[in-house]
Amino acid sequence: MTRRVPLWLAAPAIAGLLLFLVYPTVYLVALALTRSSLAHPLRVFTGVENFQKAFAAPAFAPSLGKSTLFAIVVAVVTTLLGLGLAMLLRHRGAGFGVAGALLLLPLVTAPVLVGVAWKLLLAPVGGGLAGIAAALGLGGFNPLGSGVGALIVLGLIHIWQWTPFAALIAFAALGVVRPELVESARVDGASPWRTFTVVTWPAIAPSLLAVATLELVIGYKVFDTIVVITSGGPGFATALSPFVIYQTGLRGSFDMGTAAAQTLVFAAVVGVVATAVTTVRARMVRAEG
Amino acid sequence: MKARLTIAVALVIALLPVAYLLSLAVRPADDVLNSSLLPNTWTWQNFVRVFDTIDLTTMLANSWISATGAAVLAVAVATPAAYVTARRTGGDRLLSVLLASYCAPPIVAIIPLFFALRYAGLTNNVGGLVLVNGIASVPVAAWLLDGFVRRIPVEIDEAAAVDGLTPARVFAKVVLPLLWPGVVAALLVVFFLSYNDFLFAVYLAVTKESQTLTVGLSLFQGDRNVQFGQQAAAGLLGIAPVYVLALAAQRYLVGGLTTGAVK
Amino acid sequence: MNTSVFPRRRALQLLGLAGGAAALAPVLAACGSSGGTDALPSTAPLSGKFDGVTLKLLVNQPHVTSFRDVLAPKWQQATGGRLEVTPAPYDQLTSKQILDVQSGTGEFDIFDYFYFGLGDLVDAGALTDLTQWIDTNAQQIGVSGYLPSIYDPYTLLDGKRYGLPYDGDVHILFFNTELFERYRVEPPRTWDEYDAAAAKITTDAKGAAYGAIVSGQQVPMILGCSYINRLTGYGGNLLDAQGKPALTSDASVAALKHLVAVAPSALPTPLQIGFDQANTAFLSGQGALLDTWTDMALRAEDPTASKIAGRWGALPLPVGGTNTTPRTALDAGFGLGISTATKNRDAAAAFINWATAAPQNQLVSSTAGAGIDPVRGEVLESAGYAKVVTKAIDPIRQGLNGHPLVWPKQAGAPKLLQDLVDQLALAINGSQTVEQSLDNAQKSWESAAT
Repeated sequence: MTRRVPLWLAAPAIAGLLLFLVYPTVYLVALALTRSSLAHPLRVFTGVENFQKAFAAPAFAPSLGKSTLFAIVVAVVTTLLGLGLAMLLRHRGAGFGVAGALLLLPLVTAPVLVGVAWKLLLAPVGGGLAGIAAALGLGGFNPLGSGVGALIVLGLIHIWQWTPFAALIAFAALGVVRPELVESARVDGASPWRTFTVVTWPAIAPSLLAVATLELVIGYKVFDTIVVITSGGPGFATALSPFVIYQTGLRGSFDMGTAAAQTLVFAAVVGVVATAVTTVRARMVRAEG
Repeated sequence: MKARLTIAVALVIALLPVAYLLSLAVRPADDVLNSSLLPNTWTWQNFVRVFDTIDLTTMLANSWISATGAAVLAVAVATPAAYVTARRTGGDRLLSVLLASYCAPPIVAIIPLFFALRYAGLTNNVGGLVLVNGIASVPVAAWLLDGFVRRIPVEIDEAAAVDGLTPARVFAKVVLPLLWPGVVAALLVVFFLSYNDFLFAVYLAVTKESQTLTVGLSLFQGDRNVQFGQQAAAGLLGIAPVYVLALAAQRYLVGGLTTGAVK
Repeated sequence: MNTSVFPRRRALQLLGLAGGAAALAPVLAACGSSGGTDALPSTAPLSGKFDGVTLKLLVNQPHVTSFRDVLAPKWQQATGGRLEVTPAPYDQLTSKQILDVQSGTGEFDIFDYFYFGLGDLVDAGALTDLTQWIDTNAQQIGVSGYLPSIYDPYTLLDGKRYGLPYDGDVHILFFNTELFERYRVEPPRTWDEYDAAAAKITTDAKGAAYGAIVSGQQVPMILGCSYINRLTGYGGNLLDAQGKPALTSDASVAALKHLVAVAPSALPTPLQIGFDQANTAFLSGQGALLDTWTDMALRAEDPTASKIAGRWGALPLPVGGTNTTPRTALDAGFGLGISTATKNRDAAAAFINWATAAPQNQLVSSTAGAGIDPVRGEVLESAGYAKVVTKAIDPIRQGLNGHPLVWPKQAGAPKLLQDLVDQLALAINGSQTVEQSLDNAQKSWESAAT
């Protein structure tokens, strides 16, 4: 019956995959296995040399860990915050409302612009928040000046930008929770927490996990804000993997071969983490049955 | 009460940077680093001068056309695909592959994509951006729609099948109308992603005629004396209409939800 | 569904792809085209009429005004030809030029190129060899009029010439006269004096201002310049006379030590400051010392952009160690080259000759806001240019008439500079000692040369 859904419905998507996954992957692998520069790709077969070079570069291996940590943290925070916001909005009624619409603004703003705004807000001398910081006695407030601080700032900016997305989806998902079930649970004397876990969560879990997975992947690809705000610094603190790959291939060295090798490794890491999350999701969905 | 206060705080945080951008846009250049959120002197000059500094009208048009086209393309491809991934046995393997293709940073794909676009005559062309952004966003759209499809009870499909409809027909006539809120959500998300895309636009649309807004904004960064006021003005002119779109469409989205899926 | 099968199957698929790709590699290589490398014949024109010909230029963003607003109308008057100017931010310029040719698109006729990307551009086959044309027509082009300090650096690679100089960029030291008077400090002549001045002003100003603005964002154009400005003051060079890396020389160590030493007194914090912040801070009077490009002189005097009009001065870069002759560095610098993919070669040749000729160089150098520096001696010495840059004229003349430090420009040079800058940043943020950082950089430069 529904299991016999024909595959041709997905044909355009599969064609897109061919253009966007298979062809570039083949090309990527070819680049990774040869000495390739931006000017002269695919010159000489060099085997795994590019992979060795990729790991020899000081910034790459640590960037994998940083990117993973960053992606997981922002995925969790955006999803939870989004859920919280959605529940608050739902509390006020069925409509997303003016408040909800205004909350969408960060999502819509170009990262380049977001980067400039935050960079100037946080500039230690003359920045928008510098006056307020000084008034609060926090003179010398300069989060972008330290490695950890800069990474946290990037994380907060990302969360600022992507929580509305999670809120939107969570809000839609909450709309499916049957109010009569919530009502009967309350009548039965269940606490709000128990109502949530027994009634609400099962209904919204698939969508929430979908959003969390997507936020994870988006968190892995953070790039524009790094370019605009920190350029990977101070030091290598905010050199997340996409930025390192960009430096290798298009900015510093034009070494496409090594950049390709780095991309393959990075994609593998993201694939492993994303597959883990997908598996968890599939299991949870099956358990809800 | 507490809920209202929290929402109010959330709103302030959400709007602060954009409000600051507005405050930057109305300042002259020497007032930018004045340690305050508010300008000391006001001017509207930035909104006028920015059109001389960069070709803003063309860039805005390019951004809008490529983002709209990409959204339509991505959703047209992803919606039937999502039906497959959500309903077909083993369909979520396709979804994992789609997601995997989305994982890698697009940077190294620039070269092969450049060749592919040149072959099709679509380099430095808004059409090329539509194609690239559209196909690149299919995984996001499919992932979103997959979740929405799963929320529609399977009984609906089965009832329609019992009525004699082929699976494709079930999809087109029964499921798709119920999927409408998801489709709108997906259109919006892909639109925003494409509108704000930076990397593809920078390398695949280099000429003045094809440059988009994000490229234009980055041109300010490349200047030795950055005109922050004009950059902010350009940015605001870019996002204001997009925001109006979001506002209008959001009502439709919520409306779709309240008349949404069967209990 | 068993998800553990999936990764294994995927791995096999990838291996299969890899095998296929390796076999396909030569085929794919053939698909990518590199531009032709034929040279410009010596008979190519130096001028002419080009009605109806539109030349497309890919230029550095800050140069847009000079091309679009100053040169384009004049070119049309002189030849009937049109110019279409596309800007690119400085950090994407070289890669976009390479990509334009390498991908076969060939959209542009003329490249406004960074001289230290010359090696990569030539390696990519993006620039036409102009040697014969220039040698044959040296007198009409006025080759002898180009400043010796920049002519070879900007155009010569492995004995061949690939462009004509357009913008002679150097750094000089700007200082805020008001802050110096208020805190009773003398403008510094050596880097030691610079550090001391910075420390004194920062201490005495107690947060109201900072003695020095040090741009340390981790890219060659920013942190690289800050380091090289100190290196050149000590008389050092990045490569020794044999062309071997000299990053562990005394001058180099001293230069990095100065950067580390001044960081606490500098505008917080150097590693995050790029020139947007640095310039804005200087123009609003928050910093007393800034080493940057000469067009700061014009901004500083412009009351719509600057709070310090009339209250600034300019000096040559400080000296240090045994070197007492002020010396600057060619921090950025641009030439005009002809893309190998152009279809308007004659018009392009005529254009680059025209655009770098004395009248045009005079015009763009003397137009406020065009941001172009002289490439010819007569323009450098002219009163028109002096009027535009006001107080900065003496340090600029001294710099361009001297022997400025030339950045490496062979193929792969940008990567070397990025590696160096990465190490410098680690020293400045305290993760490594100065010696360790320069040692690492030296090793990476040496291994790249092999």
